[in-house]
Amino acid sequence: MATSEHRILSSRFGRKDGHKLSVYEAEGGYQALRNVLGGKKPEEVRETVKASGLRGRGGAGFPTGVKWGFVPQDAEEVYFFVNADESEPGTFKDRYCLDYDPHMTIEGTIISSFAVGAKLAFIYIRGEFGWLIDRVQKAVDEAYAAGYLGQDILGSGYNLEMIVHKGAGAYICGEETGLINSVEGVKGQPRIKPPFPAVAGFLDKPTIVNNVESVAAVPWIMTHGAEAYAAIGTEKSKGSKLWSVSGPVKNPGVYEIPLGMPFREFFNDYLGGMVDGEKLKAVIVGGSSVPVLPADEIMDVPLDYESLGEAGTMLGSGGMIIIPESSDMVELIQVLMHFYFDESCGQCTPCREGTGWLHRIVKKLRRGEGTPNDLKLLEHVCDGMMGLTICPLADAAVMPMRSFLEKFRPEFEVLIQENEPTGCQTRWPRGEQE
Amino acid sequence: MAKLTIDGKEIVVPDGTRLFDACTEARGGDQLPHFCYHPDLSIAGVCRLCQVEVEGMPKLTIACNTIVRDGMVVQTRSERVQKASKQILEMHLINHPVDCPICDQAGECGLQDQYMEYGLYDAKVEVPQKVNKRKVKVIGPQVILDQERCVLCSRCVRFCDEYSKTGELGIFNRGDRAEIDVPEGVELNNNYSMNTVDICPVGALTSRDFRFQKRVWMLKAAESVCPGCATGCNVRIDYEADRIYRLKPRHNPEVNGRFMCDKGRMTYKTVHASDRLEHPTMAGEKTDWSAALARFKDGLKLGLVITSAHQSVEEMGLLKPLAQVAGGAQLSGGLAGSDMGEGDEILLNADRTPNRKGLEIVGLQEHAAAELAEMIRAAGTVLILGGNPAADEQVASALKSAGEMIYIGTHANETAALAAVVLPGCMWAEKAGTFTNKDGRLQGFKPALKGRGSAREDWRILAELMALAGAEEVPVSLPLLRKALNEDLFAGSGINLNQLPVHGACHGGESE
Repeated sequence: MATSEHRILSSRFGRKDGHKLSVYEAEGGYQALRNVLGGKKPEEVRETVKASGLRGRGGAGFPTGVKWGFVPQDAEEVYFFVNADESEPGTFKDRYCLDYDPHMTIEGTIISSFAVGAKLAFIYIRGEFGWLIDRVQKAVDEAYAAGYLGQDILGSGYNLEMIVHKGAGAYICGEETGLINSVEGVKGQPRIKPPFPAVAGFLDKPTIVNNVESVAAVPWIMTHGAEAYAAIGTEKSKGSKLWSVSGPVKNPGVYEIPLGMPFREFFNDYLGGMVDGEKLKAVIVGGSSVPVLPADEIMDVPLDYESLGEAGTMLGSGGMIIIPESSDMVELIQVLMHFYFDESCGQCTPCREGTGWLHRIVKKLRRGEGTPNDLKLLEHVCDGMMGLTICPLADAAVMPMRSFLEKFRPEFEVLIQENEPTGCQTRWPRGEQE
Repeated sequence: MAKLTIDGKEIVVPDGTRLFDACTEARGGDQLPHFCYHPDLSIAGVCRLCQVEVEGMPKLTIACNTIVRDGMVVQTRSERVQKASKQILEMHLINHPVDCPICDQAGECGLQDQYMEYGLYDAKVEVPQKVNKRKVKVIGPQVILDQERCVLCSRCVRFCDEYSKTGELGIFNRGDRAEIDVPEGVELNNNYSMNTVDICPVGALTSRDFRFQKRVWMLKAAESVCPGCATGCNVRIDYEADRIYRLKPRHNPEVNGRFMCDKGRMTYKTVHASDRLEHPTMAGEKTDWSAALARFKDGLKLGLVITSAHQSVEEMGLLKPLAQVAGGAQLSGGLAGSDMGEGDEILLNADRTPNRKGLEIVGLQEHAAAELAEMIRAAGTVLILGGNPAADEQVASALKSAGEMIYIGTHANETAALAAVVLPGCMWAEKAGTFTNKDGRLQGFKPALKGRGSAREDWRILAELMALAGAEEVPVSLPLLRKALNEDLFAGSGINLNQLPVHGACHGGESE
């Protein structure tokens, strides 16, 4: 695995014993925690993280330190959640963090919890990551035994309990309020906002939910300083980012590179280009929920939040899906539309009905039963979903749907039958009887 | 107070008001389109229909989950808002079976009404593409579920969680397979279950009692008060011709809010019972009014008049003058402790009479069975207005051994069986009157139906008996009777039985 000199998060990736406390400590692990608890104030930690420019790595890219600042200062009960429900199609970076280096996330969680005043932290891991849950639990047990968790941590008077919580495998529980509901034991559905979780989250108390990758960067930032972190990357996209790359490139996998590296450089120097016989057709750059870009539109774009935004897509989770020329884009979008249809929680109407409707229309096209109206209808349904729901799942279905349709329209058009729609058919309602 | 501009109109509302309600006010009572919002339930924010444009916010926002801010500038009819509501409404309808011709909700359906107001697009879904779900599922003694018609607004689920606190309903599965249901082995069986039918904006939850009985646009409505207990929930009697089809709660924030109990809803059944008294009888033989009243043409002397807490204030108010003119008869409010049941913490009161407080107001006392039996034995002729005191054995045996008894009642019962003369009266739904609830709140009710057979309104019967007893002046109309009672009973209190406020008036001043 080729990688850059910036190994903030990935220095133990791929190493056999990297997950062990002894290895982590030998390489300077938990020093950041010792320094923080040795005399820093929570607001100093918050300021440092804010100054570092660290942004949420789960997909939204919201500045982590700013989010922490939303917790009311007089809050007595605060909770900290680490979101390891990684289920965005194409994304598999958080599980590398937890698999190869769980202590870095644990240390980051303890420092972050201290910064927001939490006494209880959860690491919420999706249910399918069975082995990972055991690994993280063992690491948490080690951390308890070493005095990094529990009462009076390192003699500082700070107390923190940590619970490793197993999800049940719903995509929507990666949405922060869906995740909180899931831990509370109610249906894993997003909550309406306001209130935001930083004000009223778990048990209606202030709650911060951060992605694994965000939290894992915190120890490094505390050790090396905000300026050192901010020196990496671009002016607005600071630090390094993990990219999980799938598809027919020579070297798929997880990479840590500074934000702002041009895609061309990353593609050629790190991924090694396409496997022999394949040609790059398109890239979904930040997980399945972001708009797709054809090869010629992505090649020269730097991989940072702003540049990708200007190019018409989003950095998202960094789940990069490489699409070769041999792929059928309509087949691909059918897979994605099935995913969102299947994972929509069904709570609010535009998403519940819209994801199913999009999926049925795409299936119909693929069956060869499409009519000229169907492409217009796809756009119409997208319009009725975008920005109108409680959580971003509907948007996440619309963004790939719209972009596939816009960028690869000819592939949809060839599936259209030239006949006009038949209109509504009549049917007797099914008989009712008591 | 917050001052905001809605559709260019400035309004001032109290701080903490929901933007939804502020918009209703600004739009002159015209509510934003919605399914899930209900003023008595928590905010779900799931139907997404009440989207409005708030200046300074990039996205549309739902009004139900927004609290007003001073200086807010809101658009509820902009092109962007109208397009969004139309599209979201279309989403609600794509999997709906549109089986309006066989749906009881047709005519009072949120989907129908809002499609006509905000939709009016051409259907884009071919019927076989719809998601099929279960229809005609009996989920409780009163309620039937049709999952295909459901728009998943979750009002019913929230009602059972928050109001009845029984939690029978839930939403199962997810995505467009989501459906309302009860868990296996659970029934929607609580005394408030039929409110879920009322708050269901579509035909997903329908009343088993009302199902297929009548198209709603053929119903007429009369404002009334539930006679089922001392709470006095405000109801609307939905009737047509000589039949009541259902009772629906009427909003009264001082009494029942927007809900009522299932027991109360079923009180109308007794109006249509087969054992109603339809004609006067003498010694069990059917007769007519002139013959029955002719019996007292030589004067009416009464020793005792017994009434019950089921009668109206107006009827009770006539008893004292009647007793006086008929020879100074004794008075009793009836059998103490009769018609008691189990109450709950919500609306159902343990006292299953609608007007026990009314007895207090007119100064009538109830008596224990032994006492009442004693009074009967000493009385000579007894007049019983309403109730069924002879259901008690002591009272029944006293009545058998005493002089003759006149009964004004509505149903064949033990008391009617012992009466020398039975004069058929009207039930609450067949007459106007006033009940006093447990808090002393006087609430008027209006008739939906005419009396059964040749039955007469009870106050008219009492007036005729007064005339026979030799009264110089008898009431000739209900308003005049009420006017007289205003002076006798409520002098100085400001209570006017002819013009009670819409939410009723408390005897002895407002309780809050």
